[in-house]
Amino acid sequence: MSQTTFAPRPISAEAAHANENRKFGMWLFLSSELLIFAGLIGAFVLTRRNAFQNGLEWWEPNAFSLALVSINTFILLASSLMVVLGIEAIRVDHLRKLQRYLILTAILGAMFLGGQAIEYSLLIFEEGHSFADPFGTAFFTLTGIHGLHVFVGVLWCLMTLLVARRGTFSSYNYTTVEIFGLYWHFVDLIWVIIFTVVYLTN
Amino acid sequence: MANAPAPHDHAGAHRRHTNPVLVFGILTIATILEVVVTLFHLPQNVIVPILLAIAFVKAGLVAAYYMHLRYEKWIYTAIFITPALFAVFLIFTLAVG
Repeated sequence: MSQTTFAPRPISAEAAHANENRKFGMWLFLSSELLIFAGLIGAFVLTRRNAFQNGLEWWEPNAFSLALVSINTFILLASSLMVVLGIEAIRVDHLRKLQRYLILTAILGAMFLGGQAIEYSLLIFEEGHSFADPFGTAFFTLTGIHGLHVFVGVLWCLMTLLVARRGTFSSYNYTTVEIFGLYWHFVDLIWVIIFTVVYLTN
Repeated sequence: MANAPAPHDHAGAHRRHTNPVLVFGILTIATILEVVVTLFHLPQNVIVPILLAIAFVKAGLVAAYYMHLRYEKWIYTAIFITPALFAVFLIFTLAVG
């Protein structure tokens, strides 16, 4: 049984064309974001190498921080799954399911940010790192900018949820959800690389 | 309605998509594998390429199946893959070199 609030209506050819353009624009934006993160990850790796070569203090993740970050990685991967399932739901006009998956995505995104806040507080208040030391400069810049992207993603998810609650989306019209999904998966993709480079190859 | 398009979807809409839960399972197992690999005290020049290879495979899975690049128009793949290749080269060179 269909769960849509309104009966789905086909969109015009012009609107479909506009949707394609929006997706195209999103892919261009993501490719530029990819280069920004490549630069940040490269800067982290160089700073780390420089610190080792010059005998400067660096950081080694302990068992607790590795467990915390692994859980955070799992949370972000799960949130991506929620977005995929949400898009699959709206493809068959299950608007309520889409709303549920968007709520779960926002919750998981907030949980990721909570985990990152715990990690930061441990690093700053227990281990005494700051933006001034080489590790702090490289680490907080990279993970902080990624965290900012997650924060924006959570806000975007909530805005998409608000639009979904108005019954705007249907199997004919869900590009807005798809574009949000692209952004969210991109943030997940970047974290996959950060997790390996920052925490596992230390 | 003469010019009304079929239900919104992109090229390959009717192709059967890979089960996202299966992809999630593979990503989770790969993440666990990465953490387990670090427990073996292998030399850096061995462990770093292995970990990076797993990470890039995971990133590829996210792009191909979650971002639907596998089913999308080739132009989206070209737009994303071009800077991605530069990024992979940069990170691999800096991390391994």
